[in-house]
Formats: sequence, C-alpha cells, structure tokens
Amino acid sequence: MFFHITLERNMQLHPRHFGPHLREKLIAKLMKDVEGTCSGRHGFVVAITNVEDIGKGLIREGTGFVTFPVKYQCVAFRPFKGEILEAVVTMVNKMGFFAEAGPVQIFVSNHLIPDDMEFQSGDMPNYTTSDGSVKIQKDSEVRLKIIGTRVDATEIFCIGTIKDDFLGVINDPGAAS
Amino acid sequence: MSMEPFNRLVRLAARAFYDDITMKGDNQPKSGRGDNRGMAVVVLDALTRRQWVREEDLAKALKLHSKQLRRTLRFFEEEKLVTRDHRKETAKGAKVFSAAVAATGDGQQMVKEGEEKTKLHTHSYCCLDYAQIYDVVRYRLHRMKKKLKDELDSRNTIQEYICPNCGKRYSAFDALQLVSLTDEYFHCENCNGELVAESDKLAAEEMGDGDDNARRRRREKLKDMLQKMEEQLKPLTLQLARVKDLPVPEFGSLQAWEARANAAAHASGDSSAIDSTKSSQGQGYGGTPMPFLGETRVEVALSGVEVKEEDTESDIKATSMKVLPPWMIKQGMNLTKEQRGEVKPTSKMDESSAPVDDKKSKDMKGDEKSIQDEYLKAYYEALVKRQKEQEALKKMQQESETSRASTSDFSNRVSEALAERRVGMKSKREDDENDDVEWEEASPAGSTGGTYKLADLNVEANASSDDEDDIDWEEG
Ligand SMILES: [Zn+2]
Repeated sequence: MFFHITLERNMQLHPRHFGPHLREKLIAKLMKDVEGTCSGRHGFVVAITNVEDIGKGLIREGTGFVTFPVKYQCVAFRPFKGEILEAVVTMVNKMGFFAEAGPVQIFVSNHLIPDDMEFQSGDMPNYTTSDGSVKIQKDSEVRLKIIGTRVDATEIFCIGTIKDDFLGVINDPGAAS
Repeated sequence: MSMEPFNRLVRLAARAFYDDITMKGDNQPKSGRGDNRGMAVVVLDALTRRQWVREEDLAKALKLHSKQLRRTLRFFEEEKLVTRDHRKETAKGAKVFSAAVAATGDGQQMVKEGEEKTKLHTHSYCCLDYAQIYDVVRYRLHRMKKKLKDELDSRNTIQEYICPNCGKRYSAFDALQLVSLTDEYFHCENCNGELVAESDKLAAEEMGDGDDNARRRRREKLKDMLQKMEEQLKPLTLQLARVKDLPVPEFGSLQAWEARANAAAHASGDSSAIDSTKSSQGQGYGGTPMPFLGETRVEVALSGVEVKEEDTESDIKATSMKVLPPWMIKQGMNLTKEQRGEVKPTSKMDESSAPVDDKKSKDMKGDEKSIQDEYLKAYYEALVKRQKEQEALKKMQQESETSRASTSDFSNRVSEALAERRVGMKSKREDDENDDVEWEEASPAGSTGGTYKLADLNVEANASSDDEDDIDWEEG
C-alpha cells in the first residue's frame, strides 16, 4: 500500500557546501540518501514530494559538519498481509517462485500454487497447468496475495499465495511472443 | 408465492447465529437476571410475522422495553438483517401507517386510533430485508467454510522446511537465503542438505516432533469442526437452496410500502381488483393475511370454527402459521387443505381488504355470511397468535433454552444443535460489540480454548499472525 507521509531526518552537510546553494545541496543530498531506502517502520521510500522545513543547523565540534533537522514529505510503499499485489516473476524453482513488486521481494512456495499447476524443470523452469494454458515462468506477471511479511530494519520480505480466486498469471510475455 | 420459505430461513438463521446473543448495554453487569439470551430470536421471529412495523408497537406486542428492543434492532441493522427507518411524524402520518398496516392485514397491530393522534415525535420503523438476509447468511456460511478449509489446506500458512540431516528448521521467509544456484531445491545453511517441506507428512512424522503432533491434532480438530458445521447447519443450507430461485419478498422503503398498501386497500372495492394488485406485487402481502379489527367487534360465537381452529393451532404450536409450510407437514397430521397451502385462501385475501372496505363504505358485497365467518376465524387466530407471543415472551424471560427446546420440532432440532456452540458465541460477542464487519475482524486468540466456535472461525486463522504483523509495524 502506498502512503504519503511526513518524515524527519537529521542531515549532515559538509562545510564545502555552505554558500548560496546550501538549501539545494541539502535537498539533493536528502533525495540521494533517502529515496529507495527501506525502513521497517514505513516501508520503502519511493519519492520525496516536498521539503517542509529545514531547521537550524548545528555545527558539530571537531569536524565542521553541520547537522540540519529536515522535515520532508514522501511517498512510501509498504506491503501488508492480505494485500493483493501485482508482481513480476524473477525466479522459478521446485520449491516455488520469487517475484518482485517494485522493491519488494515475494516468495510463493509451491503449496501456495494451485494444485493443478505442476513444476517443469528445464532451461526455463516453470509451473504449468496440465492443459498448458497457464504458465508461470521468469518474467511472467502474476497477481498474488500477501499472506505474511517479514519486516526487518532495512528489509521487507513477503510470502505470497496465488491459490485463491482471481489470483495467478495476468500476463505472460512468453506466451505472447 | 409465499414468504414462508424466507421466513423459515430467517428463523433458522436466527437460531443458528443469534440464539446466544445478549443484548445489553456495555455498562450493565452480567448478572443472571439481566440475561436476555434468546431475545434476538424472539424479535426476529416476530418480524417474520410482520412487514414494516413501528418499533413501539413491536415492543408493546413483545412486551419488551422499547430501549431493549431498539438495541436489538440496532444490532440486527448492523448485521444487515433489518432495515430501519426513522421519521418525524404527525398524527396523520401515523394514521397513514396504521391504514397501511390494516390494509396488509397484519392483525398484530392492535392500536387504537385515538391513541395515535397524540403522538407527534420521531418514530422508528423496521422490517426484515429478505434479499439482504439471503446474501448475508450465504456470505457468513461461505466465510466460515472458507476459513476452515483454508486452514485445512494450510492455504494461508507460511510453509516451513526441515533439514533431514541436522533437523534445522526454516520458514518460507528464509527462502532467499536458501536458494541454491545449482539445483531446484532449498539447501540447509549448515550442512547444505536438501530441505524438505514440512507439510510432506512423512517427513513430519519422521521428525516426530511435539510440534507435529500438535499440528496433527489441530488438523483433526479442524476437520471435525468442519464436519460438525456442515451437519449442524444442514437445515440452513437446505433452506438456502430451497429459497434460491424464489423471488425475494420486497417491501420497498417505508413510504413506498405504505403507499402501496394503502393503494391496495383503496382498490379493494371489488375483490377481483385486490386479487390482481396482490399478485402483481409478487409475493402478496403477508403469509398471514389478517384483517385489522380495531372496530369490528364480533363475539366469537361460532363454536364450530373456534374449536377447529384451536385444535389445529395447538398442533402447530409456536409457529402460529395458518398455512403450514411444507417442511412442517408430517404424516399423520390432521390438517385442512388450507393449512397445507394447497388451497390458496382467496377468501382471506378478501378479509384483508374487507375491513377497510367495511369501515369506509359499508358496501360489502358477495356472501356476507361467509365473509363474516372468515372474520371470526381470522379474529380468533389473531387472538391465538397474540397469546402465543405472550407465552413466548414469558418463556423467554423464564429460561430461554429449556423453553425453546420444547416448543416445536423445528426449533428443537436447531436449538439442540446450538447448545454446543454457545460458549464460543458468547466470547465472541464480548469482543465484537462495535465491529461492523465482524467476520473480517480478528478477535483475541485467547478465547479459543477448545470450544467449537461457530461464528468467528476466522479468528483462529487470523489472529496470531495478524497481531505479529501489527507489532512489527509499530516497532519496526
Ligand atoms: Zn542441515
């Protein structure tokens, strides 16, 4: 799920940036530091949309670095249990398959794949129905439901299922070509 | 087309799901005296015999405190069984409603006209929403079954893996670290052994863990539960199937219903007209066409009619239906054709319109005698019905369970089935007072101690892992 939230961060800025473009430098650094990171609490920071406030800087003794408290708004993405996501399959093996929804990695174990799909090994390992009409392989797009999340300080890993109504392959580039 | 199948559906659902619900304020202590379990069922039953009804009148008829009744109705509104309507009312408005009630021939409305003129404030009305009830009950059953089945198939569980060499356990969350580049399997981080999915029964049994035993027991319990559920809810599912292709009784909004009912009454100048309006409205009004008899004072003198009615009514006991639903008719029952529903009581159609007719124009036509006889019948039945309600109420106050068990064969079966489910239901109620979508919500897993919980089967599946999730989010 996506959230638009306000976060705060203390930014340290090298003295060489002190000058007329201090603010721009600070914001550029903020984007570089924050965008694409993941915190267990807020999920992945997708993009900064606005810098609300930059507080008074505090010179750190000995280094000359200055610490600015920065308040910014950003779009964050955090997967939840029960959420339906669309993801791209990255790897298929006998134990199930891995998929990615943006920055989130999802594992779908084979017992959460419909029973009528069987694993086929080979160059392009895949799960296929007996009539061959549906195939899950690398780069397939699947719609899955998250049934569990493991949230670490810097990482979110999800377990998904496609064993439910309206879940499964939504677009198979292999079949189209 | 009768409403009876739908009414039966309501009654079954009431007994299956709402039998053990206590309707009390949060602040009231739980004492034996305040125990009003079973009231929900009584109220729903009463509603099956009515269409739109003013809540005060219903309270009066049921000898309930109107506050208590309102709480129950609010609950059922949230449960999507009941539609309610509130409006500021003048005496005229109240009269319109009474007229409508009279037109639909609901004999329960024993309100004197004079009394109504003085009431000028907000009135609440309620009626059953059959279409929604049908959906809600089906959805509830579906959710219950799905929860159990999902758990049985370990559908929403996180797969666990065991290393057969060193016995180390992994969960699907470790999948990324376990992937091997050389083959299709997961490999142990310690010994590089090939991991086995734990649900593979053999492997699990080999490990012989205490955990696995618990898991097996749990599976058995689930299976047992599922089976019990199917068994005990069989009457309900059967009734759902029976009702499936029938047109759903639809009263429309309060205004629409009133207007229609009154129109029908006006059109009743000749009986063929009313017949046609009724049939055009699909279900016809009421399984119990009964005239409003506020003014028509008739002494019950025709002993023949009286006795006959008494006999049959006492046969039927608590359900007070004139036309017996097919499921109630058993071999050896001594019934008239009318009661079997074989003969559509056309004369009763007349009844429902006639009294209004009578009041207004006095130009009753046709066989006056026979109509009068019908009056008596209907009037008497109204009395019996009323008595029955009072009885029911008394019984409810005494001791809901025992009384219900003895009322009829039908409620017998259901209440038996319910006795086992009580504990779970109760614990659920405590948590869920304020939940709208209660089937979706998880309530504390602590209450599951080995009882068969009917209504919150989802809880067990969700609760534990949900909670974890929340904590992660908070503390992450
Ligand atoms: Zn190992």
